[in-house]
Amino acid sequence: MKRLWLPGGFVAAILLIALLAPLLDLPNPIRQDIARRLSGPIPGSPLGRDEFGRDVLSRLIWGARTSLGVAFASALIAGAIGTMIGLVGGWFRGIGELLTVRLVDVILCFPPILLALLVVTLLGPGAATLILVLSVLYVPGFARVAYAEVLSARSNDYVEAVRALGAPTGRILLRTVLPNIAGPVLVQFSLAVAAAVVVESGLSFLGLGVVPPAPSWGLMIRGARATMEQAPLMLLWPCAALTLTILAMNLLCDALRDWVDPRTPARRPRLRLVDRLLPGLLPPAEPKPETVLDVSGLTVEIETPLGAIKPVEDVSLSVRAGETVALVGESGSGKSLTATAVMGLLPPAARPAAGAAWFGDRDLLRLSEPELRRLRGGAVAMVFQDPMSSLNPVHRAGDQVAEAIRAHQEVSVADAKARALDLFRRVGIADPERRLNAYPHELSGGMRQRVMIAMALANRPRLLIADEPTTALDVTVQAQILDLLAELKRETGTALIFITHSLAVVAEIADRVTVMYAGQVVEQGPVAQVFGTPLHPYTRALLGAVHESDAAPVGIPGVVPQPHAFPTGCRFAPRCAHAIAACSAAPPPLEEAAEGRLVRCIRWTDLAGAKAA
Amino acid sequence: MRWFFRRIATCLVLAWAVSLVVFMTLHIVPGDPAELLLSTGGIAADPVAVKELRIKLGLERPILDQYLSFLGGVARGDLGTSLVDEFPVTKEIALRLPRTLELILAGTLLAVVLGIPAGTYAALHRGGLFDRIVSGAAALLLAIPVFVVGTLLVLVLAQMLKLMPAGGYVAFAQDPAKHLTLLTLPAIAIAKSLAAVVFRMTRASVLDALSKDFVRTARAKGLAPSRVLLRHVIRNSLTPVVTVLGLHMGTLLGGTVLVEYVFNWPGLSTPLLRAVEARDYPMVVGIVLTISGLFLLINLIMDLVYAALDPRVRAA
Ligand code: SF4
Repeated sequence: MKRLWLPGGFVAAILLIALLAPLLDLPNPIRQDIARRLSGPIPGSPLGRDEFGRDVLSRLIWGARTSLGVAFASALIAGAIGTMIGLVGGWFRGIGELLTVRLVDVILCFPPILLALLVVTLLGPGAATLILVLSVLYVPGFARVAYAEVLSARSNDYVEAVRALGAPTGRILLRTVLPNIAGPVLVQFSLAVAAAVVVESGLSFLGLGVVPPAPSWGLMIRGARATMEQAPLMLLWPCAALTLTILAMNLLCDALRDWVDPRTPARRPRLRLVDRLLPGLLPPAEPKPETVLDVSGLTVEIETPLGAIKPVEDVSLSVRAGETVALVGESGSGKSLTATAVMGLLPPAARPAAGAAWFGDRDLLRLSEPELRRLRGGAVAMVFQDPMSSLNPVHRAGDQVAEAIRAHQEVSVADAKARALDLFRRVGIADPERRLNAYPHELSGGMRQRVMIAMALANRPRLLIADEPTTALDVTVQAQILDLLAELKRETGTALIFITHSLAVVAEIADRVTVMYAGQVVEQGPVAQVFGTPLHPYTRALLGAVHESDAAPVGIPGVVPQPHAFPTGCRFAPRCAHAIAACSAAPPPLEEAAEGRLVRCIRWTDLAGAKAA
Repeated sequence: MRWFFRRIATCLVLAWAVSLVVFMTLHIVPGDPAELLLSTGGIAADPVAVKELRIKLGLERPILDQYLSFLGGVARGDLGTSLVDEFPVTKEIALRLPRTLELILAGTLLAVVLGIPAGTYAALHRGGLFDRIVSGAAALLLAIPVFVVGTLLVLVLAQMLKLMPAGGYVAFAQDPAKHLTLLTLPAIAIAKSLAAVVFRMTRASVLDALSKDFVRTARAKGLAPSRVLLRHVIRNSLTPVVTVLGLHMGTLLGGTVLVEYVFNWPGLSTPLLRAVEARDYPMVVGIVLTISGLFLLINLIMDLVYAALDPRVRAA
């Protein structure tokens, strides 16, 4: 809204001056005075006089009147005719559409100035010709806008109903469609006026628009061009007037469009591509030798206009070679952010604020970008949720896999392709030779995810992170992909972190499970134990919900709180059936319930006892 | 392949529609076209001359007959002769068209070479100094009419600083260096709005591509940043840029008429403007048809480039 004011005010001022020109007591813009030809600023003529001794200021203002008059007249005519054509075409469709909207579209096949020149040849130059030509030029724009709007209104239930009741077509059009198209038509109108000013000035500049001695900016530039050596300023005035007017009109058009169509996103926070240095990290704990990945105390921070938020806080988990650890939670629990932090793929606004992620003897959170890059896709690989959007649509599947190989190994393109073919076979892609040359859109969903897995396995990773790899797929394909991952893991001994919101999947594939809620680990332990005797109320609720649906846990009322609105005490308290006053007093610590069993609930002993009793 | 033939067919239909509009223009104007062409400033034309012109333009024959011979002429590449000097229109066009094409090509090339890298850089450093300056400059460039830019370039670079010639033309074969020097300013003038448009579109689509999942995948593969940028960000950003190039070709072609006039570049616009002033209808029709045909052809080429860049289009 704010952006409307400045250009809007400027345009309004120009319009006002142009309208009031006759009242302004200006010298006659066409009275010549050869004696004062090309004089600089003189009393009565603050901008001087032109090549015929006419007052430049007066000509500028009267010129605005001509230009804007032509532009507004033609935009109005085009708007009336074009909108009508669009309405009729959209309402009757079929042959009516062909004869109206499609027909006027042919006008768009001509470069605008050329169509204008054709008509000028026949009718001769002049303001009337200009208005006629410009009206014709902008009809298709209005017709298209109105047409699109009618089509969307037609599918509107209300219009259907009124129509079924037998209301006359004309009235429906006027009553329901017209108010809706006012916005887009207004935008189109401002665009047409701005464009008309450009074409009018261009034609007048060529001497084929407004007929001298009538003042017009284009004509003034034409005239001043001849004398620009003696009087360069004479050239600058109309150029500046014309440019500023068009600039203000363009800005007004942009602002109007944003205003009418709020789909254009508001400004997002600034993105920084250069990874920031990570200051203030705590001295990390020593790595444990047998684990492939050991994440300890990971906290991710995001700067927002409302202050820093921590969507991941103090998360620890580890995975050994050949082991599968499932990371479970509803969306918004921070599980994907945890994974992207480990991969060093956090979005630019987010950064790891504390903790460590030991991969062997290297802390992934503190590696430089080039070092990380050597690991990424090499020893640490990732499979993403939606294989359609995660594959580049313009490159062949095989090339994308070969690219991953060549990013980490010194092999020729041909060798990389041969290996990609092997990988395609290993992940069970039928007809791999042909699929190698297929584009992602030519593959099925399951096939695409197999390509993603082939890509991830390309350099024999020691750690594979799969972020909801089956969520976007249908049920039978899900099972196949899970089988494939399990089989590949057995063959290669890769450590697998499997992120999911589906407990059914966890039972099938994982050895250990980490349950996350609102950025924190709430329960951790071997799958059999966690499923057999869940300790945390959230885990229990998830397990209760699992049979009813694979998607959102329907058994739990409410949603995961937003990171800037985390409760101070137990974050699950608002949704917990067992919450007591003490729960909201202070954040519950993560306690070790048994060897390898962790739980974050102050009542876990009560609840376990109650259950046992 | 089916897509390809469909696209060519559409192009032919449009070309036919364009020729129909051009033909019809002569007949839908109010009044006798011959009289209109001969009248100047409201003074009625000499009836004998009108009669003569009617015969010359074929207006005495039945309209269908006229249309068929017009269409046949266009198909054969015979666009009639000038009313002023009886010179064959096709010959005149054949002489001038290459020069106009050269200007268009140079302008487009310049716009792409400047716009794409600048747009990419601005997107990568969004909100930075470069981004803000160039985005502002682009808005200004879009607002300055092409003939104003041309005129100001002549004023500053040629008249005041005497750095460049004000305009003119020398054949490449005659003096290549001079030819290119004379080409520079008109090409810049032509490129100015297109460069701004390409800059804006590249910036927007690179920003869009940066947030795409497949870019994350490319990074997850451990690709070098330059490769991620070239193969996954810029490569995917090119398709909307090509679309926008096609959309703005109409303005660009119209702009060449003005630019050629400002810089005395002897392309199609010289005979066109002369013919419009002299009311030399066949010459105007010939040149308008040629440039409009060029416009359709360029859009066809853009669509083919688009299809080459995006395999999904070819499947549709
Ligand atoms: S701490 Fe209290 S509110 Fe939180 S999960 Fe345990 S019982 Fe529920």
